[in-house]
Amino acid sequence: MVLQTFLPGRLAAQLVLLGGFGLLAGAAVPATAQAPTDTLQSQQLPAVRVAGLRPTRFAVGSRQLVLDSVALNNYRSGTLADALGARTAIYLKNYGPGQLSSISLRGTSARHTAVLWNGFNINLPSLGEADFALLPVNGTTQVDIQPGPAGATYGNGAVGGTVQLSAAANSPADWGRGWHGTAQGDYGSFGLGAGLVTAGFSNRKVALRTSFNYRRADNDFPFYVGEGRGRVQQRQENAAFRQASFTQDATLRLGQRGELSAAIWLTDADRQIQPGIGTNNTNAEERDQSRRLTAGYRRVSTRHEWAVRTAWFEDVINYRDDVSGLSESRVRTSQAQAEHTWRLAPNASVRLGAEAQYFSAQVDGYGTAPRTENRYSGFVLLRYDPRPRLQLSLNIRQAVLPGRQPPLTPTAGAEWMALAVGRHTLSLKSNASRSYRAPTLNERYWRPGGNPDLLPEESLGYEGGLAHTYKTAGLTLQNELTGYRQLVDNWVQWTPGASYWSPRNLRQVRAQGLEASSTLGWQPGAYRLMARASYAFTSTEKTQGTATDADPVGRQLPFVPRHTVALSTDHAWRGWQLGTTLTYTGHRYTDASATDFLPGYLLLNASVGRTLAVAPAWQLLVLAQGFNLTNNSYQNYQNRALPGRNASLSLRLLWH
Amino acid sequence: MKPFTAFASLPGRLLLGSAAALTLLACDPDKDPTPGLQPVVTNSVFVVNEGNFTRSNAEISLFSKATSAVTNKALYASVNGGPLGDIAQSMAVRDSLGYIVVNNSNKLVVVSMAKFKSKATISNLKLPRYFVAASSDKGYVTETVSYSTSSGQVSVIDLKTNTVTKTIAVGKQPEQLAVVGSRLYVTNNGENTVTVINTTTDAVEGTITVGDGPNSVVADRNGRIWVLSSGKIVYNPNPTRLSKGSLSQIVPGQLTATTREMPSDQSSPGNLTINGSLDQLYYTYLGGVYTLGINDATLPTTPLIKRGSFYGLGVDPQDGTIYGGLASFSSSDKVIRFRNTGAAIDSFTVLAGPNGFVFY
Repeated sequence: MVLQTFLPGRLAAQLVLLGGFGLLAGAAVPATAQAPTDTLQSQQLPAVRVAGLRPTRFAVGSRQLVLDSVALNNYRSGTLADALGARTAIYLKNYGPGQLSSISLRGTSARHTAVLWNGFNINLPSLGEADFALLPVNGTTQVDIQPGPAGATYGNGAVGGTVQLSAAANSPADWGRGWHGTAQGDYGSFGLGAGLVTAGFSNRKVALRTSFNYRRADNDFPFYVGEGRGRVQQRQENAAFRQASFTQDATLRLGQRGELSAAIWLTDADRQIQPGIGTNNTNAEERDQSRRLTAGYRRVSTRHEWAVRTAWFEDVINYRDDVSGLSESRVRTSQAQAEHTWRLAPNASVRLGAEAQYFSAQVDGYGTAPRTENRYSGFVLLRYDPRPRLQLSLNIRQAVLPGRQPPLTPTAGAEWMALAVGRHTLSLKSNASRSYRAPTLNERYWRPGGNPDLLPEESLGYEGGLAHTYKTAGLTLQNELTGYRQLVDNWVQWTPGASYWSPRNLRQVRAQGLEASSTLGWQPGAYRLMARASYAFTSTEKTQGTATDADPVGRQLPFVPRHTVALSTDHAWRGWQLGTTLTYTGHRYTDASATDFLPGYLLLNASVGRTLAVAPAWQLLVLAQGFNLTNNSYQNYQNRALPGRNASLSLRLLWH
Repeated sequence: MKPFTAFASLPGRLLLGSAAALTLLACDPDKDPTPGLQPVVTNSVFVVNEGNFTRSNAEISLFSKATSAVTNKALYASVNGGPLGDIAQSMAVRDSLGYIVVNNSNKLVVVSMAKFKSKATISNLKLPRYFVAASSDKGYVTETVSYSTSSGQVSVIDLKTNTVTKTIAVGKQPEQLAVVGSRLYVTNNGENTVTVINTTTDAVEGTITVGDGPNSVVADRNGRIWVLSSGKIVYNPNPTRLSKGSLSQIVPGQLTATTREMPSDQSSPGNLTINGSLDQLYYTYLGGVYTLGINDATLPTTPLIKRGSFYGLGVDPQDGTIYGGLASFSSSDKVIRFRNTGAAIDSFTVLAGPNGFVFY
């Protein structure tokens, strides 16, 4: 009954952690709400066990968006770029279907977003960013997005925001499920083919989950160049890809308090690099492989919580084209984290922790010798609720980087439920944070140009917001409005020098804006509706720069849309499902002078599906999805073609 | 990673300067390069905006000398209704036609100079760089072919049919080229040579050794060929200069050059340009613009223009006004104008990466 089970967590795309007791007083409550719903046994109550505190507990006053397993459901065989692009008002700069997708949170660049997997930063150390087209949804059960600076809580790079991916068994619903599994096959336009298999088992002691998925496409879609009578159709060349991903998660409970966990995530993508319209096709090809292993031990009691975690990552990027030949890179990252949490009282907790990272890079662009770098940081996170309706948090982190010291980065947040009248609640939230970003390995070591003297970027930001909830038996409405402002100093940009490009600490950038969202859940009977609307106004400008910075001040930065809108509806009735997503991306300037721009565009997608019970414990979902239904000819990034109307058909078999 | 890789592996691309199209015009072999040249009258300046790598936003901006203003910032797209292509490396003029070399679109676009209407496109070139016409019937275009191969090529273009009739293997990474009399001089930027090609037979006559990294070439009023070389730098493990920049002079018919070394090893000279009377040379060096007469005994040690690391440099053949293009590649870039005394006149805004000027 996967798709028919109504849970509050279904609201969770764009869900806001409301100021109330409900969602924040204990981690167990939101965890239940966000549990995978493809089971009925999740209703059983687990044995009395104290759950560990999630990092979001120390992020009071910040806006939070959650894409849970239900919101991710239609994107199971896709990537995070697909899911975020359709379900949120977040802008992803995209170079073509399956091509590089870089996130821009609150008008900053992709290297200003920390992407964490099971608590570890997985941004490529060389580039300092993650390609969302290389992160398959299937390995993930939940995506938590926290826009805004939060360096104290999440460490390096959490300047524009943080994206946390989790797959581990971290909610009570993940336990005692017995065996369960999913198999899916997709077939779609332009040679799209995808398949996935997921299998899992859990009892009260052990939880295991294995998943594998594969996706390929030719992407030989037609597109149009020119205007009016001069408009001609062309067919995209050199844009095929295939990618595969494997995940294995295992959690073992040791006694009533201990928990041992381990996870493996392997991704492998072989992509042709889509040439720009009118650009020489050099048969460019890129192989991206990531191998990620983590293991951790956690011991939780009523007053204390200990956790140690370790991770080993290997990221390979091998690029080749006819003109420049082969360029290979491999970076290995070893990380360790240790933390201790004291639950001083039901309304107060303190977490003290430290982390160490070691990078070893063998990159053609850095020269023949491997480059190594160590980074460390220590942090204290405080959470205190002086009144039942008032929550406070104060976090501090100090990072230690080679050569340069980033500043002490504190974060302070408060949430106050100002009003709880009848079915309405109204909360006020605010948060102030200082954050930092360490120079990437490319920025420091690339030859020529790498600048070892680069300073870490620093940011100081604050936000304030209102969250309103209205709830009746059959209807839930959540509204949230957030305003923010942030200054990023020592902003790094690659600029042309006398003979080569080099990154420099050029300027200060101010990002400010508004984010509004509404989520409506309505279930009058057998019919169920979920509707979400979100809007973001983003203004990002250079405010001052060094003498060598030629870009003007006071202009919207290139490739940051001022306006983005995402509307989605999900309807369910007796095994039928219908979904629509409509997104609008406003115009984006293509130069720093804000003179030339790519026009804004609307994208309409829809899906229709039917779930059939084929046998006891077996269900079959038939899902048809249509993309770009209005057949818009549009560009997300300059002169990168994107397909017109296209479709896919999925068959999914569920077993539990 | 890709953009960085591309930038890093193609430093030549970033080092290169203006098309020196005037020179190409002035080297018309039908006209004996003798003293007493006809005065050149120019009304317009076509600014070549290289554009951002892989974004297909190369453009030509039109500047009117009469009004001292840009009359059309994106001339090509506004006339032809579509983008010019990716990376406009250079532009040259022959008769009433303009030839725009669009490097990363592997093509040469032929436009009418009167309306700037696209007349023809010569496709399937291999990373073309510069074009020169030897006559109304015949042109030559240099092509890198690949950054990982040891030789580039020059394609011979039939200007009546706009087709490639022959390719000639030359040295590594051929850049600017010039025709004097019945000889074509091709600078091989990836080495230290100039290839000499007979324009009647299209056979290679020989190779002349010059300084490391020849990047630009002009011919003077006496028919002598001047070649500017950037010197050699290796970037691994650390940027290290192996040789200084230099200026070479070649006497037509000889396969040797007289080379003078630049005073400082702190900079790579580039953008060799010549004035309308073909007796005064200009180039960018040490963050400024230097000039010397063709008969000067020594290279200048003080700049004519101190300010400005110009990416593109042009000199109006009519009045000697100097045009310097500043390239940030991120914002709308600027061109600064100077009198031939080096005094600044004004500036105007164009598009990304102004790398050369055509005076017409």
